[in-house]
Order: sequence, then C-alpha cells, then structure tokens
Amino acid sequence: MTVAEFASTGTLVTSGIDVGSSAVKVAVMASEDDGSAKILSLHAERIRRRDLRKVIEECYAVALGEAGADTGDVAYAATTGEGELVEFRRGHFYGMTTHARGAIFLMPEVRSVLDIGGLHARAMKIDEKSRVLNYRMTSQCASGSGQFLENVARYLGIALEDVGSLSLEGKTPEVVSSICAVLAETDVINMVSRGIKPADILKGIHLSMAGRYVKLLRAAGALDDVAITGGLAADVGLAEAVREKIAEDGAPIRVHTHPQSHQAGAIGAALWGAFRHRVLAKRSAEQ
Amino acid sequence: MANREVNELVDHARALYEDIDFGAVKRWKAEAPGRKAIGHMPIYVPRELIHAAGMLPVGVVGGGDRLEIIRGDAFFQSYICRIPRSTIELALSGRLDCLDGMLFPSICDVIRNLSGMWQMLFPDRYVRYVDVPQNYDAKVGGRFWRLEIERMLGDFARLAGREITVDALRASIVVYNENRAALRELYAERSRRPWVYPLSEVFLVLRAGNILPPEEHTALVREYLGAAAADTSRKEMDQSRVVLAGMFCEQPPHGLILTLERAGCSVVDDDLMLGLRWLTRDVSTDGDPIEALVDVYLTASVMTASRYSPEGNRAQWLVDSVERNRAEGVIFCAASFCDPALLEQPILVAALDRAGIPHTEFKYSEDTGQFAVIREQAGTFSDSIRLWSEA
Repeated sequence: MTVAEFASTGTLVTSGIDVGSSAVKVAVMASEDDGSAKILSLHAERIRRRDLRKVIEECYAVALGEAGADTGDVAYAATTGEGELVEFRRGHFYGMTTHARGAIFLMPEVRSVLDIGGLHARAMKIDEKSRVLNYRMTSQCASGSGQFLENVARYLGIALEDVGSLSLEGKTPEVVSSICAVLAETDVINMVSRGIKPADILKGIHLSMAGRYVKLLRAAGALDDVAITGGLAADVGLAEAVREKIAEDGAPIRVHTHPQSHQAGAIGAALWGAFRHRVLAKRSAEQ
Repeated sequence: MANREVNELVDHARALYEDIDFGAVKRWKAEAPGRKAIGHMPIYVPRELIHAAGMLPVGVVGGGDRLEIIRGDAFFQSYICRIPRSTIELALSGRLDCLDGMLFPSICDVIRNLSGMWQMLFPDRYVRYVDVPQNYDAKVGGRFWRLEIERMLGDFARLAGREITVDALRASIVVYNENRAALRELYAERSRRPWVYPLSEVFLVLRAGNILPPEEHTALVREYLGAAAADTSRKEMDQSRVVLAGMFCEQPPHGLILTLERAGCSVVDDDLMLGLRWLTRDVSTDGDPIEALVDVYLTASVMTASRYSPEGNRAQWLVDSVERNRAEGVIFCAASFCDPALLEQPILVAALDRAGIPHTEFKYSEDTGQFAVIREQAGTFSDSIRLWSEA
C-alpha cells in the first residue's frame, strides 16, 4: 500500500527523528486509530563531524523516500534526543519517553528499558503505557557509553560494526577499569602493547560496561523483562555481556533485543507524534 | 524582511540585556548635561516619580551570568541568594557609578539589609529603602504610602534640582500607563499565540524596560508585537502550555528560558520582571496624581510573595492564571535561597493539587550555566502533560 493509499484509509503517517550524539535515526510509521502501527521505513546516518543540520536533512529525505512519502504526507514530525535543532518538527519528546514507547512497540512484553547511547546509558522502569516510573542514568563519565566503545574500536583498528561479533569470540577477557573512560582507554593501550587479542580486549570492555548497566538496572528497580535500546543495542557482544553479568549477579532479569532496537527512540517519537496528532485533531474538532 | 526586523529588535534588546556596564544609561546621561539616573531593585517602585523629576529610572536586577563575583561574596553568607552579592559586585566594580541614587523596595530582609550596606558603602549617594505598605486599608496603608510618596517626591526634586509639578507627575503617569498597556497586550498576545511570542524573546524585550526610557520601551514593545506577528515563519508547535512562578526578584539566565522552551514548554504566563507589570490597571489621570498612585497600589497590585495578601488569595491568583491562560501545568522556578518564593511554594503547591493542576519544581540562580537537569525535568514534565494525562 502506498502512503497516498494509507492517507485515504485514515491511517496516519508520522515521522520520528532521533538526533543522538553519534548518529541521526529516522522512522516513518503508519498508525491506525486502534493504536496499531507499522514501520514504513527506518534510516540512520552516522554524524562523523559533518554539519548536523545537513545530516538530519539527508537522513530524513532518505527515510521518506524509502517510505514512498514526501514531507506533505507526514501528519506529525516528532523529534527526540537533540532534536530541538530540527526546525520543521511539530513536537519534541524527551528521550526516555520515546525509548520507552519504542521498546514497548518492538517488544510488548518488556517493562524495563536499558537505553545505551553515545554519551550515556539509562535504565528505566516503565509500565504497559510506556510511562516512565523510575530511572537511573550514568554520570557524566563516558565509560558506560557508546563514545567510549567507539574510541576503543579506533585504538584497535576495528570497524564499529564488527565489535559485537568479535567480542563474542573472546574466551579469556581482560579486566578493564569500569570507573573511568580515561583509565580504561589507558588499559586498552597497554593490552595492545602486551599483545592481547582484540577479541579478548573487546570482551573485557563489554563486561566492564555491562557491570555498570546491571548496577543501573538494579538501582532503577528495572528488573524482569528488560529491552536494550539505543545505538549500542545493535552490538550483539554487548548484549551477551549484559546477559553474562546478570547471570553472575543473580538479578532476576531477562534481556530482550530486537533487530530494530537501536531505532527505538525514533520509532517511539513517531508513535507519540501519531498519538498527539489525534489528541490535537480531536480538540480542534471539539472547539 | 519581517523576519529580519523582528530579529533586529530582539538583538537590540539582547544587547541591552548583556551590557552589564549600563552603557545605554551612560549614553542617555551624556545626551544632555545634568541628566541623572536613579537605580532600583526588582519589585515595585513608583517610577513615575523619578520620571516626573526628569530623571531616568534604571532597573538593577543583579549581574546575571556574565559577572564574576570577587568582592560581593564577602558581604553575604553562602545561604543567601545571588542577586544581592552580584548587585554589590556591580557597585564595587564601578559599574553603577552612572546612578545618582538607588532605591531598595521591600522585597525581603536580604534586600532591606542591602540598602543598609549601600548607605555604609556609598555615604555620598542617595539611598532609600522604599517601604511599601503591607496594610491595604486606605486609612492606614494608604496614608502611610502617601507620606512615603511625598517624601520621595521631595527627595527627587532636590536631586534633580527642580520642582515636580502636578502636571509633570500626571504626564509621567500617562507615559507609564502606556507602557503598562503595551506590556498587558504583549502578555495577552503571548498567551494566545505563544509560538509567535516565545518567552526567550519576550524576556529580552521586558528586560529592556529596565534600561530604556519608558517612551522608548513602549515603542520597542509595540514594534516587537507587530514584527513578530508579521513573521510568517513562526508556526504553532505542539508544546505544553505552562505558567512559571517564583521568578519575581532574581531573574533566571536567558539560557534557562531557552532550555524550558526547547524541552517542550510554551510559557503562557509568568512573574518575570514583575515590577514593570505590578499594577494591573491604569493609574487614574484625574484629580490628585499622588492619591491616584496610592489608590492603584492598594487596589490593583499583583499578588506575589513579596506583598501581604490574606491567606488563599495568592494561591487563587495562580489557579486563576492557569485557567485564564488555558495552561496545562505550573513550573515553580525559584531562585535558590529566595525566602519569599520558597516559603509560599508549599501553599501554592497545595492549591494546585486541590485544583488538579500538574506542577514541577526546581531552583536556579542568575548565573546557572548547566541546564541538563532542568532540561530533563522540564522535558519529562511536558511529556507527562501531553502524553499521559490523556493516554
């Protein structure tokens, strides 16, 4: 079904633009009155020191193109993350709100979310309506973030996309500082000079990060079924390390991942946009 | 073209806001020999009296986030708000030398003490603690306020070296009535279309009223009203409509206001720069102008923590503002250690809870530079209003 056909059936086409510190992610969604929705397109662009506004424009254009839509078809363009830069947005939603909504859409059984982004990670306890009940965030230290992992990958000369699968091959992980990114990066440089295998270094890094996340989840009371979202959700090695740390900790947590988890923020923004569009349209009709 | 015009106006107001050396006041004084300027702290002073004497009333609201405090901290304990210490810093660094006098309206004990410090630090300058009445009976508070006004008129006439005639005072009342009318219109329009008049701009336009002669400020407000409306690039956003409360004395940094707007809040009413908007109706231009100033103070002052109001009136004032402006929530945004704002907050919170109005609270100081936590709090507050109140 084309976007034009969707519109004729009362289906709402909305977009979510998640502007992160490392990447821009866009979701174009079709939502029905009964609350059901489907993804029309997902697209992500890494920023890589480029002009952020330009990256946003390009990413949005590609996502719309893949959905067979143009800007006029979009009933509500919602932003999240650092999306205040997007001038054509109709509304902006806070990152926790959108990740919670995106996680529930992708994995309806979860009631907790571990959002791991470029600059920080946060654990949230949520309800079935995606309402955030409690949360904890990493402090300003970068050692639990994607940026840290990106730096390590650069030291090792490994593409970020290969980090996860390589980490799974690590059998004798090296212990890395979990307190400070600077110390951890020094550890990594020492390991490289000592000839430690990259797979074991990465596994050690992942376990170090995972240890912090388990503490966050416990502090937020985010137990039971936890969805990993955010840019690092696509890192299979990190997800496995989180599972290992949870098993070691004995926390009653089941980790869920989804192939589109890293787009949860954009998906959630698009879904909340559809919700708000209907609320505003109803209000307007009542006036 | 329209866009450039509104940007030019806002840039002009921003330049005035950022100039902690009071360059505009110095230029005004230099334009004619013998001109004098009288500073005053936030909250109400009858600026008409200063204007009628041919002098320039200058609002002094601290040093903001561009002033490093070196000497001011020696005058106040660490549990005192920032505005008195930055005001002392402004004075001791010579930035207020352009002022020929200073008025300290009764805001709180800290400002009362500041007026005493001023008298000791600057014994050769005119200093007055403006003790506004807290009794609103015309026979009691009215009589007291009339005496205060008459004393100030005598003081200002001596300072200006000229008599203040009844006609001059009445003419100044007209000038300030026009200014207040323009501000009332700005607030009404902002409430109606907050996306056309964002607080991040309105705040700067308001702040210009501290520095500019009232005639110029009125013209700026009117020009801004037209230019912003003519800017067709301003479109309605899906934001939460909120009322800000607690900012009547120490003013927040501009970055905090931008943060609130970017976090999804459209401010539809506030108590920023309250002294400019203290009187809710025009001052009568008939009869005795002093009596008119007394009467308007007693019968048409805003409700705020710095003035006495019978229990419940101030809370009802806030609830009424929420309803009148179709606000969806209230953000209590008070200066750290601001006794008046923080002491009344629990009363207001209870009233909002009874009325079922969502609210959130945080504190700032005029030099707050990190907004991440405020952004998070305001963002989640806005989301909770828009998403879960109807989900």
